[in-house]
Amino acid sequence: MRALVIDDSRAMRRIVGTILTGFGYEVREAGDGRLALDVLEEGYVPDLCCIDWNMPVMDGLQFVMAVRANPAYRQVTLMMVTTESETGQIVKALAAGAHEYLIKPFTADALRDKLALLGLLPEEVSA
Amino acid sequence: MTLTATSFDWVRQLVHRESAIVLQPGKEYLVEARLLPMAQQMGVAGVSELVEAVRNHPDPAKNRRIVEALTTNETSWFRDGDPFTGFTSTVLPQVLAARRPDERLQIWSAACSSGQEAYTIAMLLSDALPNAATRVSITATDLSRQMVERTRAGRFSQLEVNRGLPASMLVRHFTRAGNEWEISPTLRRMITASECNLAAPLPRLGPFDVVYLRNVLIYFDLPTKQGILTRVRQIMRPDGWLFLGAAETTLGVDDNWERVVLGRGSAYRPRKGA
Amino acid sequence: MTLQEAQPITTLLDTRTVQSIADEVWPSLVGDGEAFVPVPVPPPGDVVSAWVDIIGPWTGSVVVTCAPATAEALTESVLMTRPPTVVDAEDVADALGELANVLGGNIKSVLPGESRLGLPQMGVAPPHGRLDDVRSLVGQWRGNFLTITVQGAAPAPHAERDEVPL
Repeated sequence: MRALVIDDSRAMRRIVGTILTGFGYEVREAGDGRLALDVLEEGYVPDLCCIDWNMPVMDGLQFVMAVRANPAYRQVTLMMVTTESETGQIVKALAAGAHEYLIKPFTADALRDKLALLGLLPEEVSA
Repeated sequence: MTLTATSFDWVRQLVHRESAIVLQPGKEYLVEARLLPMAQQMGVAGVSELVEAVRNHPDPAKNRRIVEALTTNETSWFRDGDPFTGFTSTVLPQVLAARRPDERLQIWSAACSSGQEAYTIAMLLSDALPNAATRVSITATDLSRQMVERTRAGRFSQLEVNRGLPASMLVRHFTRAGNEWEISPTLRRMITASECNLAAPLPRLGPFDVVYLRNVLIYFDLPTKQGILTRVRQIMRPDGWLFLGAAETTLGVDDNWERVVLGRGSAYRPRKGA
Repeated sequence: MTLQEAQPITTLLDTRTVQSIADEVWPSLVGDGEAFVPVPVPPPGDVVSAWVDIIGPWTGSVVVTCAPATAEALTESVLMTRPPTVVDAEDVADALGELANVLGGNIKSVLPGESRLGLPQMGVAPPHGRLDDVRSLVGQWRGNFLTITVQGAAPAPHAERDEVPL
């Protein structure tokens, strides 16, 4: 399985990337929404995008809308991973087409639980 | 006073035996921090004294509290999703068909901890049945008064709602209360929470259509397991359903149950004529 | 945003809430078993800060301040580096900034009304406004001085002047 981790913080990319690699994912990273779209356009179409909200150039919500507007990316599962945690923000992200929402701070177990909900956890990890 | 090496080792072995979680050496501070509230509540001087007391007077209930205190982040909403998938796909339709429309379904979350299991059931029911609030009642019990009070309050931290609760359910059924999340009053009213020691004669409860008794039996020896399963069966409907934890079974413990495969998981039903 | 509605942070946010947010942030971001302990230790001679701005009915910053060496140790812990790997200034700005960001986002969510979160910044903490518009937690991480300060922007967005504590 392939993942794209989108966050302007290298530390957060490393944390999320390390957890996903541990679950057997191939991981690529991008520092903002625009760079992430470039990665998709290059042909790296992942199973999962983990998306921060507040980023320079293009934020996570704009990225979600851009991906949802392109039928070529219909198979990509979008999960917000952000410190934005008001009900209104979560509703906004889900309405824009995000499939799940993980609030920072989170633990590796919380990320695993979300992947299990999305059916994106390899069998050997969920056992 | 700091944790002694023997106390740490005893806790380490207990937690590994009961939860398969390994506490690496160097995690003494974690044991100390997580068990201090329990030591204070028991009125002993420190965590080493707490461990000494429990070692000298073995008590499965206290063992369970220790394991829970050290594995608290293991409480998730759709923990081992299968018992909930089986509930909505098979159990609920069958139970509804077998009861009159004016009969209230009774569901029991028998070791409710801070309430995630009971509220997960309530959310599933309210999504599946327009009249869930009047058609179903959920009984949530736990050994610990603190856990019963937490279940009644229906308030959860950010880290707790992050554990396997779908975001769509979070925004539909919870509102923000400071930096916590509070379950909707409608769902909270579906649940009656009370203290209950499963290892002793049970209070008047039931009769239950569905019982969730997950990750409890693992803490007890064989005769106690048998006693619990017998008492649970006595307050269940003859055509009721029992869900156990993924690592638990009635097989080889109590023959009065029949195992039923539900999707990727399984449930147990009282054997006819038992 | 109206001037009459703007309340100081001390009436909007209590110490317990900030501490409970820190209690969740430290184990998940800094490392398992890590904690911000609200027991003050003497401040070091030299400090660095990372912060995020909150812009809304209440406008101000959430600032994390500690000694440069503590910031480096925090970064190593966040990035899970092991010797001989060393962290550089960019790593420190990034990790401390993310700590401020996660604290800031959670603090924003308990404030009334709709607010926006800025991107993390690093350097000398911005000046704060009125003293009753500052909610500060002085404490330590692994025995080292560290503060979490939620401070109104200067000049303060409200006009009352008679509640300033001594």
